[in-house]
Amino acid sequence: MSDVTKEYGTTVKTKALRGVSFRVENKEFLSIIGQSGSGKSTLLNLLGLLDRPTEGTVSLLGTDVGALSKKERAAFRNKHLGFVFQFHHLLPEFSVRENLLIPTWIGGLKGAASTATQTRKRAEEILDFLGVGQVADKSAEQISGGQKQRVAIGRALMNSPDILLADEPTGNLDTENSALVYDLFRRIHDEMGTTFVIVTHDRAIAQQTDRIIEVTDGLISEDVKNEYLDAPAIRP
Amino acid sequence: MLELRIALRFLWRNKVQSLLIILGIAIGIAVQVFVGSLITSLQDSLVDETVGSSAHVSLEPGDGQTAFAFTAENRATVSADPRVTALAPVQSLSALVAVGETSVPVAVKGGELTDLDSIYGLSEKLVDGEISLTGDRIAVGKELAEQNGLAPGDALRLVLADGSTVETVLEGVFDLGAQAANERSVFSGLELAGSALGRPAGQVSAVEVQIADVFTSPEVATDLGAAFPQLAVTEWQAKNSDLLTALQSQSTSSYMIQVFVIIAVMLGIASTLAISAVQKTRQIGILKALGMSDAKTGLVFLYQAGILGVIGTVLGIAVSLALIAVFSSVARSGDSGLFPIEPRLGFVLLSAGIGIAIALISAIIPFRKTARLDPIQVIQGG
Repeated sequence: MSDVTKEYGTTVKTKALRGVSFRVENKEFLSIIGQSGSGKSTLLNLLGLLDRPTEGTVSLLGTDVGALSKKERAAFRNKHLGFVFQFHHLLPEFSVRENLLIPTWIGGLKGAASTATQTRKRAEEILDFLGVGQVADKSAEQISGGQKQRVAIGRALMNSPDILLADEPTGNLDTENSALVYDLFRRIHDEMGTTFVIVTHDRAIAQQTDRIIEVTDGLISEDVKNEYLDAPAIRP
Repeated sequence: MLELRIALRFLWRNKVQSLLIILGIAIGIAVQVFVGSLITSLQDSLVDETVGSSAHVSLEPGDGQTAFAFTAENRATVSADPRVTALAPVQSLSALVAVGETSVPVAVKGGELTDLDSIYGLSEKLVDGEISLTGDRIAVGKELAEQNGLAPGDALRLVLADGSTVETVLEGVFDLGAQAANERSVFSGLELAGSALGRPAGQVSAVEVQIADVFTSPEVATDLGAAFPQLAVTEWQAKNSDLLTALQSQSTSSYMIQVFVIIAVMLGIASTLAISAVQKTRQIGILKALGMSDAKTGLVFLYQAGILGVIGTVLGIAVSLALIAVFSSVARSGDSGLFPIEPRLGFVLLSAGIGIAIALISAIIPFRKTARLDPIQVIQGG
């Protein structure tokens, strides 16, 4: 991200980001922290191609994503990015397994039945990996809050994303489930080599990531390796 | 076809809402098909009653003439027009039928039975006696016979305008389906009427013509007028302008009813789909965040509208056909005063097309609303 500015409003303009530059390396496990309104979610929206910068350049995997059309950005998102939100945002009209398959369907599952079978098998492997394989056939409404967030993580993993973006992923969970989610993130990173960018206001979570970027009033105020905070670990 | 799958799930999730929209479309289409078919059949029935058993176009003598020669060649010329379905050279005269001490005014029409049958269907409409119209044989209308105590086999004397008389024998009684016509109509052979008028063979009072499409009578009359410039050609529409105005008014009111029904159905579907789009905002936002394009998320609502439109339309047509079958069954069962409704395939298919089209048009608002939805609003809003 190079010299990125993001303004909102037409008559009265508010600058959410003011000339932000930073680089995320492949397979990094980093967090972005900051107070509410600091601009950290704006930063994640720009990284996730959900928004465009007012000025500056956002490049992902060697592509200047600012030059992509809306449709190309959607396709890029589907192919290269995984999202985990504060709220699970599962589709209640579909089963747990189908919720995992949705990103694959959006990407366009091509032809052969064997491909569909393989995709279904992958969904089941991911559900087992996340410890929710037993609820695969249940409606997304019928499972607990912690299970829903794990299913949401599974959905983010379905298309084998290069980067997983998480926006306050534990913000709606109790301590136990928060620890579980963080644990999963770390395992996914270690076993699959996925790059993680986690936006959080929880310094305890951020402390466990390899790199911490702190955003204050639309600027990067800190960008350090993980030992800079001294909060207690979230895991018992 | 993820969009179709999502559309089906959205509809299934809100089963009652979906059912209500389908019922709305079905009722609208049923009303449209039923009312449209009813009006069309009513008009067909009125036209058939008015001109079904009479001439659509008549060739009559020119100014100052009372008869004209109509040769086999002339007949071939008229018959060669593919629009012409029947023709009958006739002799027409007014007379009195002497019944006891009184006399009854009648209109005598003389012609060959086969020709008269092709226009008036006399043989099919015979209610008493028989009909051949040979020699001195005549047939009279049902009311004329009933009101004057006439029966087949009776000898009847026709008194002409010049005081001369013609002795005839009543052989049959027919029912033309209209009391006024039955009270005054007498049919005879061409030769009997011609000799009563003192005309040489080949001279006729008029040539009556029926055509396939009664509403093309002005064009047919114009063409026959060009082929027989010495004759006066008249057609039924010129003589029935009041009926045509009534038919036109019926058509207009029918169209108005159908248009308002369609508008009501369209508003119903559009508002329900718009509500559905609001209800599904979160899902649509997430699908967009996961990489679904604006157009494809919009397609979800187009598919919903299409599914609702097809099911509602098919149901509506089934209901309308059932209503029509019941109505027609009652109409055919007795003296209900009703007429059978004949649904036209073209109109039913057009109604089906309209039903599906209005459903799809109704999806425009949710389609555009969905396309404009920013997934960030959904994600941050929870």
